[in-house]
Amino acid sequence: MQIKPILSALRRHKAGTVLIALQIALTLAIVCNALYIIHQRLAHIAEPTGVDEPNLFAMANLWGEQYTKEQAAAKVQQDLATLRQLPSVADATPTDGYPLRGGGWDNFITMKPDQTAKTTDASVYVGDEHFLRTLGLKLIAGRDFNAGEVQNMGLRESTIPPVTIISKTLADRLFPNGDALGKSFYSMSSTPTTIIGIVDTLHRQDVSTWSAPYTGQSLIWPLRLAQPLGVFYVVRAKPGQLADAMREAPKALYAENRMRMFPAKDGLVNYQQIREEAFERDRGMAILMGIICAVLLAITAAGIVGLTSFWVGQRRRQIGVRRALGATHRDILHYFLTENLLISLGGIAIGTLLAFGLNLWLVKTFSLGFLPLTYVLGGMVTLVLLGQGAVFAPALRASRVPPIEATRPA
Amino acid sequence: MLKMTHLSKVYRTEVVETYALRDFNIDVKEGEFVAVTGPSGSGKTTFLTIAGLLETFTGGEYHLDGIEVSQLDDNARSKIRNEKIGFIFQAFNLIPDLNVFDNVEVPLRYRGMKAAERKERIMNALDRVGLASRAKHYPAELSGGQQQRVAIARALAGTPRLLLADEPTGNLDTQMARGVLELLEEIHREGATIVMVTHDPELAARAQRNVHIIDGQVVDLAEDPRFHTAYTAAAGQIRG
Repeated sequence: MQIKPILSALRRHKAGTVLIALQIALTLAIVCNALYIIHQRLAHIAEPTGVDEPNLFAMANLWGEQYTKEQAAAKVQQDLATLRQLPSVADATPTDGYPLRGGGWDNFITMKPDQTAKTTDASVYVGDEHFLRTLGLKLIAGRDFNAGEVQNMGLRESTIPPVTIISKTLADRLFPNGDALGKSFYSMSSTPTTIIGIVDTLHRQDVSTWSAPYTGQSLIWPLRLAQPLGVFYVVRAKPGQLADAMREAPKALYAENRMRMFPAKDGLVNYQQIREEAFERDRGMAILMGIICAVLLAITAAGIVGLTSFWVGQRRRQIGVRRALGATHRDILHYFLTENLLISLGGIAIGTLLAFGLNLWLVKTFSLGFLPLTYVLGGMVTLVLLGQGAVFAPALRASRVPPIEATRPA
Repeated sequence: MLKMTHLSKVYRTEVVETYALRDFNIDVKEGEFVAVTGPSGSGKTTFLTIAGLLETFTGGEYHLDGIEVSQLDDNARSKIRNEKIGFIFQAFNLIPDLNVFDNVEVPLRYRGMKAAERKERIMNALDRVGLASRAKHYPAELSGGQQQRVAIARALAGTPRLLLADEPTGNLDTQMARGVLELLEEIHREGATIVMVTHDPELAARAQRNVHIIDGQVVDLAEDPRFHTAYTAAAGQIRG
């Protein structure tokens, strides 16, 4: 190995060496963190909702007339009957929202009526006795709501039903011993609500960063919205008939009552559209980070190619002298590969510190998770390979410098 | 030690062929100190680069230390350069990024020699040229004469069978040139074979034997009718 003389030579070319090492360091720091952000965003995008996404669609139904609570309740019941009798529809339920819709209703959960600090936070869904069946939720303990338990809920009413069905994530959070069924908790009220059922997975409506610690913590109350503004209908199509159901449902509802509208934005959406809308920013961020990584890696590779090409041109005579003194093609190739490896290792050492420093700042500022070591190790390997790949062509050119070059005039 | 028979070197372009060496014959015995002289463009540097395996030749034969070199691949030629030949260039050709010690070490590293042996050889070679105390200096910190001594140390450290010197004093003033020449003579007295290209008649006169090259061929100045008159006159002047 020629490490000592190479280091000695590099000390005489400090500017270029330091610049490339710093470029490698910055690239490592940024790429590691960017890849981690991409991973987190992709994991977020892939989170399961627990509902039968391929067969579901949602309708935002806005009334065209001002109804009283009773009138609205009757209209909703009528709509549901219409929807449920469509040949392409398996079931339908009225609700305040659906997983990944964004926003939604969140309640603090406490274990005692006089508790001042929340135990945790839960996303609240309201629905009738068809809610579980329509969304395709998997009941893993207890029972479903029965029709008698479902109450109508008017505008500005704060109804806390005596029974609830909660997600397993929330059950485990509230009762880590696995004995949640039959237990009670309080939800922004001094009236307890008892857990009668537990479903396997039910994602929150909200997908924004703040709610990440509560992802999967959901509860369902047996309430039927009877409000003057409108209601969401979630409709489950029979397998393979989603398109038919989405075409037939609005027609059927309009036929029954023209005094309504389905807004352009979310008046009629399937889960593919819901997912795309919900994770648009995550996908955009992942793509942006990916582009940043690619550009940085390309710039670093170009920098290495440029500097090495310059050095090869500058040292052409020196390479000829080495060849004259007995260096083979391979010796010259190894020289430049080793030289790049040493610069890369220097850059990587600094870059590792920078990567963790940048991550700490991101953790403090944007609540990003702690950077796993595997990302840094992966980044190190990538940059070493990138450096060796980038230096190979100029190094190969250097190895082809003939020994006669030693005798050419300087 | 070095024998070229009917050797030729032709540079070809699309329109013209130029003979740098033509029917070139030379035989240097082991332990000889031969000076190769000739006017500019006569082919003496081409001879030296072919002799040092720095470039290939077009035709003929070249035996170096008993090995016919025309069929050797690049790696084998590198190995022979490294083990059998020591080069002393007019421009010294030290590597400016390396200090004196590291410069002398270059050919030894390519030989795969162990560090301890390398160090011993380097210090012996530097001691021999009187520069052991300058081992940590960089070439730019040395005079021209000292740089050429380092180059000689680099050539000697590998204990080559043949030393090839290309105008070794060409870039030096008279005093430094004298010192370098005395060093070469001393090395020769110790048994080294030296082939030195020069156009300095005074320097050539210090060699054991002179070989003159004209138009890519070795000529005997006393015998060649083209130069007979001029040679006789010049010899008369020197004798007178």
